[in-house]
Amino acid sequence: MTKWITIAKHEFSYNVRRKEFLFVTFGLPIFMLAIMGIPILLMSVSISHEEYRIGYVDRTGSFEPLNFTGYPDEETARKELLEGKITHFFVIPPDYRSTGKINIFSTNRTLSGTVDDKIRDFMLENLLKGQKIDLVERIKDPMHSEYFILNEKGETGEDGFSALLVSIAFALFFMLSIFTSSNFLLQGVVEEKENRVIEILLSSVSYRELLIGKIFGLGAVGLTQIIVWSMIGAGLLFSNRLVFSILVERMHVSFALLVFALGFFILGFLVFASLMAGVGAVSTTTREGQQMAGIFSIIGAIPLIFSQFILMYPDAILTTALAYFPLTSPITMIMLLSIGEVQFHELMISVLILTFSTLLIIELSVKIFRVSLLMYGKKPTIGEMIKYVRES
Amino acid sequence: MENTVEVSHVSKSFNGQSVVRDISFDIASGEVFGLIGPNGAGKTTIIRMLLDIMRPDSGEIRILDAADKIKDMIGYLPEDRGLYRRLTIMDTLMYLGALKNRQSKERTLELLDKMGMLSNRDMKISELSKGMQQKIQIIAAICHDPGFIILDEPFSGLDPVNMKLVKDLIIQLGKEGKTILISTHMMDQVERMCDRILMIHKGSGVLYGSVGEIKSRFGKNTIFLEFEGQLENIAGVRKINYSGNYAELILEEGADAQNVLKNIVSMVRVNKFEISMPSLNEIFIQVVEGS
Repeated sequence: MTKWITIAKHEFSYNVRRKEFLFVTFGLPIFMLAIMGIPILLMSVSISHEEYRIGYVDRTGSFEPLNFTGYPDEETARKELLEGKITHFFVIPPDYRSTGKINIFSTNRTLSGTVDDKIRDFMLENLLKGQKIDLVERIKDPMHSEYFILNEKGETGEDGFSALLVSIAFALFFMLSIFTSSNFLLQGVVEEKENRVIEILLSSVSYRELLIGKIFGLGAVGLTQIIVWSMIGAGLLFSNRLVFSILVERMHVSFALLVFALGFFILGFLVFASLMAGVGAVSTTTREGQQMAGIFSIIGAIPLIFSQFILMYPDAILTTALAYFPLTSPITMIMLLSIGEVQFHELMISVLILTFSTLLIIELSVKIFRVSLLMYGKKPTIGEMIKYVRES
Repeated sequence: MENTVEVSHVSKSFNGQSVVRDISFDIASGEVFGLIGPNGAGKTTIIRMLLDIMRPDSGEIRILDAADKIKDMIGYLPEDRGLYRRLTIMDTLMYLGALKNRQSKERTLELLDKMGMLSNRDMKISELSKGMQQKIQIIAAICHDPGFIILDEPFSGLDPVNMKLVKDLIIQLGKEGKTILISTHMMDQVERMCDRILMIHKGSGVLYGSVGEIKSRFGKNTIFLEFEGQLENIAGVRKINYSGNYAELILEEGADAQNVLKNIVSMVRVNKFEISMPSLNEIFIQVVEGS
């Protein structure tokens, strides 16, 4: 078997068993699900099982009870609340019209959003007394917005919500996966330097075989992560339509988008992985390597920081620059592709730049690997590195 | 006899500092060869160049005849020891064997048995003592049955029991016809094991040849003494290397060993007196001081 395949297989099996990999791959979806799902679940539970009985004390003398219970004074309302006859009551002070202030009382802490909504409807209906019922209903719920994007020919594209959601979600997950697996590569190289295994490896394989084996092995780790996340996501979408129905309705992910996104993921990973291998080769400890790698990670995350700008101004110079610069192009292009704002020639230029940069960085990393890998405990300066690369 | 290794006028420098200077030597097939010198002499750099981990600035290196498969034919025990801490012994050895394209489970198990570690094969490297890890590394260097074995400081960090085990293994491999290069600063070890040696100092070769030939070149001017008491200035003795109740006495040119013995007997109680050739260690000191 070709040696780089042996290394790739080893790197894959060694890294998928890491605690960090298992934590990010399985822990992250659970964490996100908890953050997104628990409030929704709690809210639905509180809406369906809690019956609110609301009373009020009107000091302005202008409010009608509608479906609430009116009390002549605060004392009576307090007594009924404590006896459990009502769940809440509120006091409308005489200066309500000028201040808008009301005080709401209850015996326990509840999610106040639903109670607020009911009281708000009550106030609106009273304030708009005499107006037509459809107007009152409209004022209560004035707009249901949906965005459409017109292209140059005047045709409508996907709506803004799905574009934003899909692109940012894609970008986030892909970035996380690229950073996780390329960080494993960095850690692996530094660890092998620290525990001196690197010397045994290099007595068996060439620098290029070692680097390529590592890149492919860890690329497979990243892809595994993406596949696991996709499967968990798909499982959730199919199993809990109640919570995710809105997302399903609004997301329009085409097959072409997925193919291109995967392509950019692979190219993006290759660029970052070869960079990390170079960083690992010149780092003396894992911490030092991670500090140096942090600079590249921040550059890689720039498209996320500018995501709103990129999506709003896909033709701006900054967006174009981000779409062509090899460290930012994978995420930027995934964002632009998801809103359909990419011309074929732009796609090709970006792919070509990314491919060429990948090959160049791999070549440079091999040279840096060769000149600095066995310098234990000594970090070469940038000047020394340039000199070594030239010499080699 | 055909040569396994031929090194011709090899030099290497780092940052303008010369580490290896115009070194030439060869190792015959089936020979146990010693590359000796103090720490920092350039031994490891020479080994890394033999393994193509580093390339020489000038000069030529030729190993075996199978140019494209050289790395698969060499077994290497590096000076700096380390293994994947989270892998088991067996996984480690099988992976390192696979990288040589010559993975053999049978031979690996046989070597584990020989080193008394067969029952530990499923243990993780992190669970092993330092001595056990050393033994695993030695097995890793030879489990793919290489024709040429490079052992860089094979005895460092070993207790006397394991040191004997490793020595026996090297002797056994020598008998099997393997070509072995032992690099060490412990000169007394190679003296007994190596057919020929190259002694280097500050990157340059200072002595090269068979151990016997080198020693005879320096003449029978040494007395090995086992004694009780206090030795002081002895007429006819140029230098004394002490080691507890033992001492290596280097005689002045033309000094008579019998007269020296008389002088010694008057000072201390003598348990053993042997007129011999100087040790490699003393030869090295003489060469370095002379240069």
